[in-house]
Amino acid sequence: MTKKITIIADHDGKNIKPITWELFAFAKKIQAHEKADIYFFIIGENTKELAQDISIHSGCKTYAMDVLGTNNYHGQIYKKILIPFLTKNPADYILVPHTTSGMDYAPALSIALKGSCITAVEGIHNKDNVLHFVRAMFGRKIQADLSNKNLGASSPQVLTLQAGSFKPFKLDQNDIKNINIIHEAFDCLEKEMIYKGCQPSPSKGSNLAKAEVIVSGGRGIEEEENYKYIEMLADIFPRSATGASRPICDYGWAKYSQQVGATGTIISPKLYIACGISGATQHLEGIRDSQFIVAINSDPDAPIFQVADICIIEDLTDFIPIIVETAKKKRPTN
Amino acid sequence: MKILVCIKQVMESGSPIKIDPSGKWLQYSQSTRFEINKYDEYAIEEAIQIKENFKDTQIDVITVGPSHASDVLRRALGMGADEAIHILDEAKGYRPPAITAEWITAFVKKETYDLIFTGIMSDDEMNAQTGVMISQILDWPCATAVIKEEISNDRKKMRIEREIEGGAKDIFDITLPCVLTIQTGINTPRYPSLSKVLRAKKKTLQIIPAKTLKTAEQIPSLETIQFPEKTTRGIVLKGSSQDKAKALLNILASKTLV
Ligand SMILES: Cc1cc2nc3c(=O)[nH]c(=O)nc-3n(C[C@H](O)[C@H](O)[C@H](O)COP(=O)(O)OP(=O)(O)OC[C@H]3O[C@@H](n4cnc5c(N)ncnc54)[C@H](O)[C@@H]3O)c2cc1C
Ligand SMILES: Nc1ncnc2c1ncn2[C@@H]1O[C@H](COP(=O)(O)O)[C@@H](O)[C@H]1O
Repeated sequence: MTKKITIIADHDGKNIKPITWELFAFAKKIQAHEKADIYFFIIGENTKELAQDISIHSGCKTYAMDVLGTNNYHGQIYKKILIPFLTKNPADYILVPHTTSGMDYAPALSIALKGSCITAVEGIHNKDNVLHFVRAMFGRKIQADLSNKNLGASSPQVLTLQAGSFKPFKLDQNDIKNINIIHEAFDCLEKEMIYKGCQPSPSKGSNLAKAEVIVSGGRGIEEEENYKYIEMLADIFPRSATGASRPICDYGWAKYSQQVGATGTIISPKLYIACGISGATQHLEGIRDSQFIVAINSDPDAPIFQVADICIIEDLTDFIPIIVETAKKKRPTN
Repeated sequence: MKILVCIKQVMESGSPIKIDPSGKWLQYSQSTRFEINKYDEYAIEEAIQIKENFKDTQIDVITVGPSHASDVLRRALGMGADEAIHILDEAKGYRPPAITAEWITAFVKKETYDLIFTGIMSDDEMNAQTGVMISQILDWPCATAVIKEEISNDRKKMRIEREIEGGAKDIFDITLPCVLTIQTGINTPRYPSLSKVLRAKKKTLQIIPAKTLKTAEQIPSLETIQFPEKTTRGIVLKGSSQDKAKALLNILASKTLV
């Protein structure tokens, strides 16, 4: 029997976000395992053109739902729209981005639709004809394979996809013949949660976005005063800036404008040096576009080493002064 | 005001990691240390700060886990929680959040809470599901990644800020009862106080054996766990610290990065 895969698209009101095409790639991988039709679903205030864009580049039927009050993500409205829709149009797989919004409604869908939920999926493979979904645990030190083999036949599998796991996939052709959308407007009476505005990010205008070299400190610095090592190291590079992992900002040892990661700044320097940073998923989300990554960590199994170009297993409080000394000696004196 | 804070005991980050021969979970040893899930500490602190504002508040903490998980309940009592409930489940391994949420809500339905707090995510399993599932089972509104909250004087609603990508915050008014999943940075969790810790030691915990509760059926199965494949992408510098420093600077110089 042909299965149904529903992808919940992510967008910012003007553009479809790349994670949507990563979800499409994910759906294609499921399709390779079993026969399935793919549908897209998009919620927003003005979704017609966005839905056309999806439809053109996927060749898939797209449900566009205009709902007032969804210019910004609104969890209660999303749930109130998605649950009845997916009850009426059941899907076997519901694919959701693992973003701050996807995380907010996906687990609720699985409960309401009596399905299962696996979050932050990073990989998929077929073992003995059972689909395994691969995800990180224990701060990325462990990888787990989960399956839905014990799930009831009519229960949907809700899966959220970690950004950056699959190469975005979309059709090149720009064929409007592909357009297959169902565009509807909905009213949603929502009294329990009312949107009151937005507080801009503290990293707006932060110098991290422009710096060519960024040196960051994480919990491995252990004490506030050890942040000086991060500054020392940054000083040997021109056009450098200092950053930090989230906990360091939470402790008040660095400013939130210095936070690197999913909920801080996404950086793209020529060189990133991570000191005493374990390499949590949300931190990695912020450093993926760095051209060259150096990691200094005392734990040889630190996950940051899985993405670093240069791995240095050292205690940062010992090692950073040695680099600084060595750099000074090398520099021509005048 | 009655608040329930859901707290989980997790393995201390930095504990050595060994996989059990079953290949389905970690192997713990005598030297394995456990701690409270970091996000949950912020959730307890937030509840205590509410109590400081609304004096007639009662704070209950609940955990699902084996006997040694009671340590986190005592820690919460030491911080200032009033009552502690332990849903005792000696089963080892992955417990899908749907089960935890179902068990916690079975308890909640017999009580009258105004607010339920969870952490945004557990540090070990990293699901970020339990709080949202609890809210859906109860049919309460829910806000995730909350980094600020303020209860209105009539105690009927609260103004919350939830963090989104890039660190911006969306502001909402949400009616009570509701579920909030708490993100770090919302406050600075206090240390347990000595007098409260002493009292916590003597406190009787309410124990509910998990086997008396109905268990969610639509759940994923954990097949295996493994160490991530080591990528060959990076170079591991070898030698003395001085050797490594020189090698690093040479590489950076060759790429005109320094
Ligand atoms: C929704 C959400 C959003 C998040 N957003 C972000 C984000 O934007 N940015 C972010 O950074 N995090 C974010 N986090 C938090 C993230 O999950 C991790 O908790 C955090 O990144 C861990 O920071 P860390 O690496 O500094 O600390 P830890 O994980 O504790 O790592 C410390 C590291 O230091 C090493 N170390 C210890 N001592 C030394 C020493 N002397 N010398 C060298 N190394 C040493 C240890 O081996 C360890 O690897 C987010 C979490 C959630 C749930
Ligand atoms: N075993 C548990 N006992 C009590 N609360 C839990 C348990 N597991 C998860 N939680 C709560 O749910 C939050 C999110 O966990 P998770 O869904 O596993 O990422 C945690 O921060 C806790 O507040």
